[in-house]
This record gives sequence, C-alpha cells and structure tokens, in this order.
Amino acid sequence: MKRAIVWLRRLFHRDSAWQEEIESHLAMRADWHQAQGVAPDAARTRAAREFGSPLRALEAVRAVHRAPWLDALAQDAHHGLRVIRRSPAFSLAAMATLAVGIGASTAVFSVVDLLLFRSLPYPRAERLVSVGFSGPIDNNEFNVGNAYLDWREHQRVFAAMTSMYPAGECDLGEAPALRVPCVQVESNFLATLGLAPAAGRDFHPEDDRPGAPKVALLSYAMWQSRFGGDPGAAGKTILLDDAPVRVSGFLPRTFEMPQLGEADVLLAEQLDESVARAPRFTVFLRTFARLKDGATAETAREQLLPLFEDSVRRYVPPPLQREVGPVVRSLRDRQIHDVKLASWLLFGAVLALVALACANVANLMLARAAARKKELAMRAALGASRGRLARQMFTESLLLSLAGGAAGCVFAWGLLRALVAMAPEALPRLSQARMDGRVLLFALAVSLAAAVATGLLPAWERLSAAALAGWHSAGDGRSWSRPVLVAAQVAISLVLLTGASLLVRSLWKLESESLGFQPRRVVTAAFTLNRHRYNSAEKQDAFYAEVERQLARIPGVSRFALSDSIPPSGGMRGRPFSNMRIAGHPPLPEQGGMVAFRYVTPGYFRALGIPIVAGRDFDEKERSGTDTPLILSQSLARRMFPAENPVGQRIDLDVNGHWQPVVGVAGDVKNSGLADAPQPEYYRLRVNRSDELGLSAVALLETPLDAGVVERWVRRQMAAIDPALPVTIEAMQTKVDRLSERARFLAALIALFAAFGLLLAAIGLYGVLSFLVAQRTREIGVRIALGASPGQIARMAVHQAGVWTLAGMAAGWAASASLERIARGALFQVSPFDPLSLAVAALVLVMAAALAAWLPARRAALVDPAVSLREE
Amino acid sequence: MKSTDRLFGSLELLIFKTLAAGPHHGFGITLHVETVSKGLLHMEEGSLYPALHRLERERLISGEWRQTDAGRRARIYTLTAAGRKRLAESEASWSSVSLGIERVLRFV
Repeated sequence: MKRAIVWLRRLFHRDSAWQEEIESHLAMRADWHQAQGVAPDAARTRAAREFGSPLRALEAVRAVHRAPWLDALAQDAHHGLRVIRRSPAFSLAAMATLAVGIGASTAVFSVVDLLLFRSLPYPRAERLVSVGFSGPIDNNEFNVGNAYLDWREHQRVFAAMTSMYPAGECDLGEAPALRVPCVQVESNFLATLGLAPAAGRDFHPEDDRPGAPKVALLSYAMWQSRFGGDPGAAGKTILLDDAPVRVSGFLPRTFEMPQLGEADVLLAEQLDESVARAPRFTVFLRTFARLKDGATAETAREQLLPLFEDSVRRYVPPPLQREVGPVVRSLRDRQIHDVKLASWLLFGAVLALVALACANVANLMLARAAARKKELAMRAALGASRGRLARQMFTESLLLSLAGGAAGCVFAWGLLRALVAMAPEALPRLSQARMDGRVLLFALAVSLAAAVATGLLPAWERLSAAALAGWHSAGDGRSWSRPVLVAAQVAISLVLLTGASLLVRSLWKLESESLGFQPRRVVTAAFTLNRHRYNSAEKQDAFYAEVERQLARIPGVSRFALSDSIPPSGGMRGRPFSNMRIAGHPPLPEQGGMVAFRYVTPGYFRALGIPIVAGRDFDEKERSGTDTPLILSQSLARRMFPAENPVGQRIDLDVNGHWQPVVGVAGDVKNSGLADAPQPEYYRLRVNRSDELGLSAVALLETPLDAGVVERWVRRQMAAIDPALPVTIEAMQTKVDRLSERARFLAALIALFAAFGLLLAAIGLYGVLSFLVAQRTREIGVRIALGASPGQIARMAVHQAGVWTLAGMAAGWAASASLERIARGALFQVSPFDPLSLAVAALVLVMAAALAAWLPARRAALVDPAVSLREE
Repeated sequence: MKSTDRLFGSLELLIFKTLAAGPHHGFGITLHVETVSKGLLHMEEGSLYPALHRLERERLISGEWRQTDAGRRARIYTLTAAGRKRLAESEASWSSVSLGIERVLRFV
C-alpha cells in the first residue's frame, strides 16, 4: 500500500515535471520575443501560437514514456470488452459458470483455510504439540498427573511443557450466578503458547503452589462485559464458586485454548504433587509442549518413548496397559483430527467443480473461436502475429474470468453465510470463517488460473497455422480437444456424483442406526451443583430428592427419571472390565477394556424407552433397602455370562466385597456416538442415601408438551429449590441430531457441488453437440437428401454423445476407484464400491447426458435439406 | 512550419548536432537551429519534446534540471557518448542521402 502511494506520487511528479518543461519553454520564448521589443502580453500570445497545443505535446511525451506492453494491453482489453459486449449471452453464460465454480471454491476455501492452512494464533505455532496417551475412553490424548510430572522433569525434547485440567465450569459472581467455562492451567500455560496477557500480569510460578491465594485470568469478552475493558481492572477481586479470587490479568482478544475449548476464566492449576502421586488416585490432564528447534513431533515421540514406557509400567493398571499408546502430534492435528478428512474432501470437491467450470468455459471459447475463424484468419493475413492474436484471446478469457471471479466473490459471500447458518457446529471454527484478504487473494488466484485454463487451449488450437490459413468454414469439426473436454467433464462429474451418493447413503445408514432408546418427547435438564455449597453427601442427596419431588409434579410430565449421565454422546463414568468379580466364577480375563456405568432412578428405562430384555426393572421400594441391585446391558451380560442366565448372579464391582445382585438385562444403547458400537455398561440404582451420586445430574422428562413449555416449568421449579443453580435444558432429539450434524453437512455440501457439477457437465455436452450439429448442418442435409431417415440422423448425433459419455464415465470410475482409500474413512457402513451408490450416480449422469444430447439430436433430425444446402 | 524536420530523421540529426556544440535546453535548441539556418529552418516545437524524451529514454542524450543564466529553471540536455556515435552515423547517412537527392535533381 505504502509502495503504491510512493509509486503514484512519483508518477504524478514526473508528469508535472514534463508540464513544467513545456511551460519553461513557452516562458523563454516569450522572454525572447520581449527582448525583440514585443509587448509582454503579445509576446506570451505569440509564444503560445508558435508552440501549438501544449496538451498535445504533453500527451505525446506521455506516450513516449508509456510502456509499450501497457498500450497493447489497453488495446486488447478494449477489444476484449467489445467482443464481450457483442455476444452478451455467451459472455453471461461463461461468467455465470465461472462465478459458480470460483464462488463455491472461495466459500469452501474460507472455511477449510482456517482448518488446514492458516497458522494458529500463536507465535511459531508449528512448534506446538499435544502430548499424552491415546486410550479407549477418549478420542484425544490425555495424560495422568504422575506421568506428566515425570515427563516434565526428565524430558529433553521440548523447550517447555505445560498442562491443564480437562475443561470445567464454575459459578461467577453473586447469586444468581453465571455458569461460565472455567479451566485450571499451569502457570507457564500462556508462556508456552508464546502469549502474554493483554493487561495485568501472567501467572507466576508461586501462584501454582498448592494453597497459594487463588488468581484468575479472564477472557477478553469478560474483561469487556464485566469491566468495560478497563486496563486498571487487573488486581480486582471476583467471586468464583462463592469464593473470592483475585484477577491477575486479561487474555488477548484473539486468544483461543489450544484444544479449542471454551474458557472465560483461567485459574492457576495448583497441581499438588503429593495428590498427583498418591496411589489409586488419578489426576487427568491435557498436556501441551513447545518443541525445541530442529525437533519434530515424530522425533519427539521417539525420544519420549522410554519415559512413556516407564510411566505405563508404573501408573497404568495392568488390564489397560496394552490399550494405551504414546501420542505427540502437532496442535493443528489435535484440533482438526476428526474433520481433517472432511475438510480435504470438501476442498477437493470444489476444486473439481472449478475444473469443471473451466472445462465448460474453455469449450464455449473454443466454439466461439471456431465461429470467429474468419476474423482471426483475416487479422493474421493483415499481419497480426500469432503471439499478438493469442495474447488477445487470452485477454478476453482474463476479462471473463475476472468478471466471473468478482461475481463469484458475491456468490461465495452468500454461500458462506448459508454454510454457517446450516450447521454452526459441524466444523470447528466455521463461525470464524470470513471473506478476508487472504480469501479474496485465493479467489483472484483461482480466477487467474481459470483465465489460463480457459484461454490457452482455444488460443493454441485456433492459432495453429492450418486454422489460420483456412478461409472456409466447412470441415474442421474433427478436433479432438472438445470431445476430450466433454469426456473430462463427465468424468469429474461422475466422481462428484459417486462421492455424493456414497455420502448420502452413509448418512442414511447413520441416521437409521438404532439408538437403543427413544429420543422423541424427552426433554433433558442438566445441572452441576456448586462444590462449596453442596459439600457433603447428605446435602447432595437432599437436593436430588427435592428435584425428583418437584419435577415429577410438573403437569404434563408422564415419566420422570434422574441419572448422572445420558446417552448418546459419552460422558459416562467407566471402570476396567477386569476389576469386576462374579460370585462363584473364576476371575474375568485381563484384556476387557472399559465398562461404562450410570446411576439411575427406576423410571430411567421407561422414560427413554429402553427395553428390559430379561429379568425386571428397578423398583422404587429398593431405593430405601441395602441390597443395591444392578441391571446389565445386553452386550455386557453376553460377555460376562455367555452360557448362563445373568439374572440372579451376584457381582462385586469394586473389589471391595460388596456383592450386588443382577436383577435384569436392558437393551444396548448408543452411548458413545452414532458411529461407534455401544460400550458395554451396567446401571446402578440411585438409592436414597448414597455418597456416590456426584455433583452432576440430568433430569429426563417424557412429555407430549412442547419443549419450550416444559422448559419454563422446569426453570421455575429448579429456581424454587436453588435459585443460584444454572440449568441447561434441551430436547433429547436435538442432542441426537447433533451427532449426525457433521455427516449431514458434508453430505449436503458434496451433493450440492455434485449437482452443480452435473449441471455444468450437461450444459457442456449440450453445447458441444449443438455446435457440432450446427456446424454439420450441410452434411446432414446432404445425408437426408440422399435418403437418411430423421431417426438415423438423430442416432448419429446421440451415438457421438454416447461415445464421449462412456469414455468419460470409464475415466470417472477409474478416478473414483483410485480415491477409494480416502473415501473409506468418511463412510459409515458403506463400502466405497457400494453397487447401489455407484449405480445411482451412473444412472443420474446417463439421464442428464441423454437429456443434454436429445435436444441437439432432435434439431439435427429436423434439418431441412433444402434450407441447409442453400446456406453459404 | 516546414516539413523539413520530418525528412529522414532530420529532427534527431538537428538535435544531436546542436547538442554536440554544448548542452542546451529545448528552447535553446530551437533558437540555435533557427539562427544558424538563418531562418530557413523552423522547428515544430510541439514535436521537439516527445523527441527529446524518446532520445533520453534511448540514453542518447541526458537531461537535467538547472538554472539558466536568465534565472529560469529549465531542463538542460547533454549529448551522451552513445549519442555522439549516433550523430556520426546519422551525419554520414544524411550526407549520402542529400548527395543522392541532389544528383537526381540535377539530372536533366
């Protein structure tokens, strides 16, 4: 920008210097006349007359300095614009086609750029890694306190390591408190990320000592909303979970957590080494590190291996040792691991769409160049060099592409808004996607590439010596480039269609996957008790009892249940399988993975419609007894009792001699997402006096009423019990829908692009065939005059289209097959060679091709020999 | 206005020849040609400047803003080494052309 101004100023300065030179000439001439005795006024007039027009002279001087290529460019552009204006239909079609291609690719780029290419908002972000164990419970690597302490002390590959507790929440302020995301991080957390607070001070190592006064860093949004962005607010005290906490500083506006979680409050972690190292007690952490220069995630992982193996031996329970692995991966991979494939698929799909659009426009340009053959031959004969003509054709396609690109940016803007509205949580960072300079630059690059792609082929083909030499318009229909372009379009479009139909089928399978429970008409209300106010099991039990009493009384609630977690998205508690013992049975095998469990009230199975397949449901009376019963899920029952009736067996869950009877078996439910198999689980009854219920619970209300109506009732009742308790209310169906949101988003987008692609390919086929028919009208007329029937003529045209389509489809299938391995990862229970999907894609394509070929073929059949032979 | 300056690149030749005698500004060149040709040649002033700029771009002459003796700012042009060489070539070709024309004119 600055350079542009300097350049402009110099340009302007140069121009005024030339003007001054001419003025000085006039002045000197006037001086000379005056010296000859002419009056001053007359002298000036005479000087001006003798000089002629100073403006024309100045213009001539400017022309001397203007670069010759600029002149030619202006001329080409002028000519190009005239050509474009002369055939508005053609130009509009070409621009619209390019606008669709460039627009779609730009919109998708603005989304995937954030995920795949743009650097993360940390200095030297490429050196940041996430470190930990991969395990069966968590999709992301985690760490345990004692292992982390060992690694931090002994590792040599990282410049710094830091840790945080898994994301939590806390109550901010006086009642009614605000429930805000609240994360405990090590004191070097910001420093390791390479950041510093926007105001105030970062955590000190002293803040991390257990028992030190609590300090917090607040998010930029909090700073603005609570303190009006006052930089002097650091040092003030806020109320967090009813305890005073000093605010040490405020996070930068662009701050984001390395795992992309939410955080309005960062608290010093105060990891207590004596607690972290206590036997039979596990502190779960997320750990991040900054690589030393020269190290990569791979070398770091290798060098960390001895430490890792040592930790596994010492801290991981034997049954789980084989199920954990070491992970060191870049922060970007950590952030996008489950959408990386989707991002690349989307990006690939739109690039294919751009290619299709270019092929289409190139085809149009070829057709038009053929029509302008006479003009080009004439200009060549008049002395225009081939380079000059090529440059001119290229200028035309450049103008078209830039116009298409500009329209595409508008289209992209709209499409992006639609994408964000369609699925706000389908991709991380989707809501951050903007049409910024970088994205516009991408659009420009695509436009230029389109200009080259659409301009070069016609220029090259039309400017061959033979084409320029020819004056006649007959013949020359056998050029290979147009059929090849059409076949390529068919191929690309088949790949897109195949991908779309596979994804749609996979989505259909995913959504028709049995959940094992009935989400309709169920409203959930989730809450977490304040740790300080409900600091004893008695207080918690009393609260839960009151919640059951009050919520069950809401009019219109037919069934009510309370649980500590609900399907289908995980979050339940788990234990190693091998920890369980069955009365009168040998110990269970060591490798059994984890078993999930929940604490539920007797109404749970009925509220969610989970069938009891053997034995019986829990009974309300059992809640006051001591004989705490169990219900197993079907898959767990099958594993523990392959050949026996599970009902009536007694199980010790925690190796503590407390034997509990199995009273029933419940159907399996999807408890860790739609795509994964159900985890084996057991249900424990929420007895009246329990010290194990925990601080979090979810109430389930089955009701025919609208969720909004129920929500008001629930809020009122909950507020009557504890006005300071934040409650999250949501329809169960919404939770379930969210699970397939990403798959739906991907399938919808690819299907949309496939539809665009199909349209473009059909237009391409139609265009080429129409052109050929028009060009061969004379030949067709002769054939008809010699006795060919209209049917034969139509068959001839269709035959040609059929050959191109088949060639394209063969290429498309080959391309699809080569993409099979990539596609496999994005599909759920559908093979990349799923015959139904392939057939549907092929059928749709063939139908579109037939439609595109039919119109020109009919026109060919209706050629009147008398008219066509009289032409020319 | 005479068309003499259009003939055979004569404008360039006149500029070179004038500058060979010493640096001049545009008006100085005009005046020199008028004076030396005793009024027979009159330069078209409008086309003088484009020519000067073109020759400068070709590095045959070089220009520089300076103060004239009369106290006016003007752009003073000097013949470069390349310009001197070109002058010799142009002079030679001009001589042969004018000799040729003279012979044709004198042929009766």
